[in-house]
Amino acid sequence: MGWRMQIRHRTGVAYAGPVTSSYNEARMLPSPEPRQSVLHASVTVTPFARTHQYQDYWGTTVTSFDVHTPHSALEVLAESVVETSGPAPVRAGAPGWSDLAHPSTIDRWNEFLLETPRTALDEELTDLAATVKGSHRVPIEAARAVCDRLRDQISYVPGTTGVLTDAVQVWRQKKGVCQDISHLAIALMRAMGIPARYVSGYLHPKTNAPIGEETAGQSHAWIEWWSGEWRAFDPTNGVPVAERHVVVGRGRDYGDVPPLKGVFAGAAGTGQQVEVILTRLR
Amino acid sequence: MADLFEDYPVGEPGTVWDEMFGAPGLPRADYEALHATLRPLAGSDLKVRADVLARAFLDQGITFAFGGVERPFPLDIVPRVIAAQQWRQVESGVIQRVRALEAFLEDVYGSGQVLDDGVVPRRIVVTSAHFHREAAGIAPANGVRIHVAGVDLVRDEQGAFRVLEDNVRIPSGVSYVMENRRAMAHVLPEVFAATRIRPVEDYPAMLLNALQASSGVDDPTVVVLTPGVHNSAYFEHALLAREMGVELVEGRDLVCTGNEVFMATTAGPQRVDVIYRRVDDDFLDPVHFRADSMLGCAGLLNAARVGRLTIANAVGNGVADDKLLYTYVPDLIRYYLNEAPILPNVDTYRLDDPEVRAYVLEHLDRLVVKPVDGSGGAGILIGSQASAEQLAAAAKRIQMDPRGWIAQREVRLSTVPTLVGDRLRPRHVDLRPFAVNDGTQVRVLAGGLTRVALPDGALVVNSSQGGGSKDTWVVSHYPVSPAPAQPSAPAVEHVPVPQPDPGPGVAAFSGQQEQQQQLREGRC
Amino acid sequence: MLSRIAESLYWIGRYVERAEDTARILDVHLHRMLQDPWTDEDLACRSLLAVMGAESTADLVGVTSVVERLGLDVTDSGSVLGALAAARENARSCRETVSAEMWECLNTTWLGLADARARIELRGVHPFFQWVRERCSVLAGLADATMSRDEGWLFLVLGRSVERVDMTARLLSTHTRAGGSIPSWLTLLRSCGAWENYLRTYRGSLSDRHAAEFLMLDRLFPRSVLAALATAESCLDDLEPGPGRVGVRTEAQRILGRARTDLAYRSADELLVGLPSTLASLQRSCSAVNEAISNRYFRQTAAVAWTAEAVA
Repeated sequence: MGWRMQIRHRTGVAYAGPVTSSYNEARMLPSPEPRQSVLHASVTVTPFARTHQYQDYWGTTVTSFDVHTPHSALEVLAESVVETSGPAPVRAGAPGWSDLAHPSTIDRWNEFLLETPRTALDEELTDLAATVKGSHRVPIEAARAVCDRLRDQISYVPGTTGVLTDAVQVWRQKKGVCQDISHLAIALMRAMGIPARYVSGYLHPKTNAPIGEETAGQSHAWIEWWSGEWRAFDPTNGVPVAERHVVVGRGRDYGDVPPLKGVFAGAAGTGQQVEVILTRLR
Repeated sequence: MADLFEDYPVGEPGTVWDEMFGAPGLPRADYEALHATLRPLAGSDLKVRADVLARAFLDQGITFAFGGVERPFPLDIVPRVIAAQQWRQVESGVIQRVRALEAFLEDVYGSGQVLDDGVVPRRIVVTSAHFHREAAGIAPANGVRIHVAGVDLVRDEQGAFRVLEDNVRIPSGVSYVMENRRAMAHVLPEVFAATRIRPVEDYPAMLLNALQASSGVDDPTVVVLTPGVHNSAYFEHALLAREMGVELVEGRDLVCTGNEVFMATTAGPQRVDVIYRRVDDDFLDPVHFRADSMLGCAGLLNAARVGRLTIANAVGNGVADDKLLYTYVPDLIRYYLNEAPILPNVDTYRLDDPEVRAYVLEHLDRLVVKPVDGSGGAGILIGSQASAEQLAAAAKRIQMDPRGWIAQREVRLSTVPTLVGDRLRPRHVDLRPFAVNDGTQVRVLAGGLTRVALPDGALVVNSSQGGGSKDTWVVSHYPVSPAPAQPSAPAVEHVPVPQPDPGPGVAAFSGQQEQQQQLREGRC
Repeated sequence: MLSRIAESLYWIGRYVERAEDTARILDVHLHRMLQDPWTDEDLACRSLLAVMGAESTADLVGVTSVVERLGLDVTDSGSVLGALAAARENARSCRETVSAEMWECLNTTWLGLADARARIELRGVHPFFQWVRERCSVLAGLADATMSRDEGWLFLVLGRSVERVDMTARLLSTHTRAGGSIPSWLTLLRSCGAWENYLRTYRGSLSDRHAAEFLMLDRLFPRSVLAALATAESCLDDLEPGPGRVGVRTEAQRILGRARTDLAYRSADELLVGLPSTLASLQRSCSAVNEAISNRYFRQTAAVAWTAEAVA
């Protein structure tokens, strides 16, 4: 049984002085798809800017805008109401390793099998991937094993990584946030030949959230891997993706779905602030 | 007075195709007129005219930066002739190629059907450095993404034209085509009189027409976007802007607000609808590409996305002139157009296939190796001319990055007589015809740029590697008949024309001064 | 036309005029200093530098350092070489608009500056400054003969005129600086190439009053301040569509108009009495006009440097 949720995602950027021009793209709205319907979605920018929406290559809704009045702070507020679904049913008859190695599969999911800078491996991780693959009969079990392993070995510690941190670094320090754990999981799966992709979105932090209560949450990242169909899983929390998760977009790694990205001129940036508030409506 | 063609070597049939001579002393049909005109000239005469040519180019500032130094782009005085019938094949082959690549680009930046159908392996496209996902979903107003294409052709040992590579990003060189023709008309007027050559001066009009047609706006404002005076092809940007009668702008003259583009003029911002950009994708829009670029304008890509701007050529075309994709183009022609390819490729080996790679590494000294992503002829290794060290280094590079290289059979490019000293000698040439797509039809400029490798035996013809060019003549099918006798004009009355006013002149003064002098001397 | 091109032409006009006028000023003043045994060289040189906006912190300032600072410093656009270098650089980026001959002239001049120092050492400053004046005249003549009288032309002449007002005011202020040797009106007239014209106009009588009148108020002599102001004004009038019912359209026209009428209706006596403040006010007006012109016509000519940002 899914939830109906209201999400308010506010991002603020501050500058050292007046910025004369800035061009931005926000990926902060839920994606309309079969297991998630979007009842309302809007982006408001302060200072005022007209926004334009389009779908990018990965199918993510992008809101683009430019500001040309001098400003020393920029605020983007994304408000949406979305209906989610419970966990997806697992189909029987998962493919085996040989099915994944079929040239047509490799060709079809090529982009989710290739290494990216954030999901590249070193020798140790390559060996790890080989070991996990060797000890599991079917890919779906190997994928779960990777997630369980990471849940055990990587501690969730904010503040130790940044947007450029790669999988190797996360493994070395055994610490990171949802983004990092997801990258590491994806890296290992790809090395095993399992197509894997990065999902950006929101997570309501409370399992039995009371209706109407505003809860502080965050942007969240999890993964999907392909085994006959795309299966979603949250490696950071060790739970299947269900009614508490809201999808914004998918890509090869964080770089394909940054919540807010842009260029500006006139002064240096001094800081950023993010606030996400989720309210269960039903 | 020795013969210009003395000792002109003509190879055995099948070893190399000389465009003028089928056999020693026997010019082919389309070169007969040229041969007849050149033969009586002394080598020194021709050399003198060649010098006049070089100086004219220098004075006008038509140069190309070679090794950081500006030099005149060497135009060889002997033109290259292509018979009308042969040209028809080239023309239709080029048009066919452009149509197939247009369909391909629409597909890969749209539904991707060609990949789902397995015609081209997905990895070729998604791993191409020029596959710009930012351009996905952008639908140009008239569907054209390749406003200008340059398809490089060579003639093999049997004289058949083959496609060497496609250039659909920012093909350059058409300014040399126009300037070469102008210069030659001055220096070899008698040959022009004897042959009917199809003109090339209408290129700017053709291009402007296509650029205007690409906009959804009535009477659109077109500009040429140049990286600036320090760019090696600046001369061409300025020439095209001037001849099309449009503004030549740099990135800093443009600003995009609310997805509309304006240029800064003294009368305030003026709307721009079409940008013929000579700036690479990577430098075009700091929002989506390199943020440190000073050559582009922030916001251009999204302006194109909403349809308020046309970028010519479109962003992301580079995936279609990737040298690895080149090997699939004949398949694309069959897939999209249901036609057999008119112009074949040069036999090419795809190195990402392990078996093929093994064969190539074994025969490296007999093949030509090219980087997938190269331009200007850099990085090309000609096996038969390489040293052992160079071969070993190439083998290593291939093994490290197999997707980054292709290998081709070494084609002995056709030769055309070229002035070397005061004799004519065969030198290898290629051909770059230019095609312009206005949405309704693809038109090919008659002739194109013939590039000649100037050193003896050299096969790399790019200007950046020290090559030169030749005027390219597509001879019209119909022979030139003597002009019909004009009916005698009515006798014109002879009206004497007045001379310009002489004014008081010097004589008026000196006469009197001399008088005074004499008078003074007369006194004691 | 593109703002960037207009700005380049405006500054070519200014730089070339600056080079010519600076060469004139230096030529005449240095010559006089060398001839007059009673000159306090240090004081006179400091005075010259000060007037040109180039103060010196050295202990002793001599002719050599003046020539160095105001003649040969290629990095400073206030020096002859610097101004010509800057003019050439501007022409390079708008080669499409200046005629081939103008470009060649600037380029040839530039190439001829390479051995400036050596030539000065060999034959003294006078031939060098004379050569500079000639080259600037050639350029002005070519502009006159080969440029269409379109917007580009107007901006070139506008720049030249604004600079002329500024430089003439500076020149005249060398006369008014208190203390030390004061260059005579004769020297000043020669600096502007006005001596012969002056003689013809005032039939040989040299007086402060007449000289000031001639250099500042004469409508017919092209290097007078009033004539230059009028030319600049007329360029701006041609650039603007029409005056409308009230006043003028642009700030620049306002400033120029007021400066011109302020001068035009002064008597020569009034002029002499308040000369230092009048000259200072003229220089301020030039700066204000420059800013007004830039704001109106050259709004956006520099490339923007972007900073990339991503928020997680």
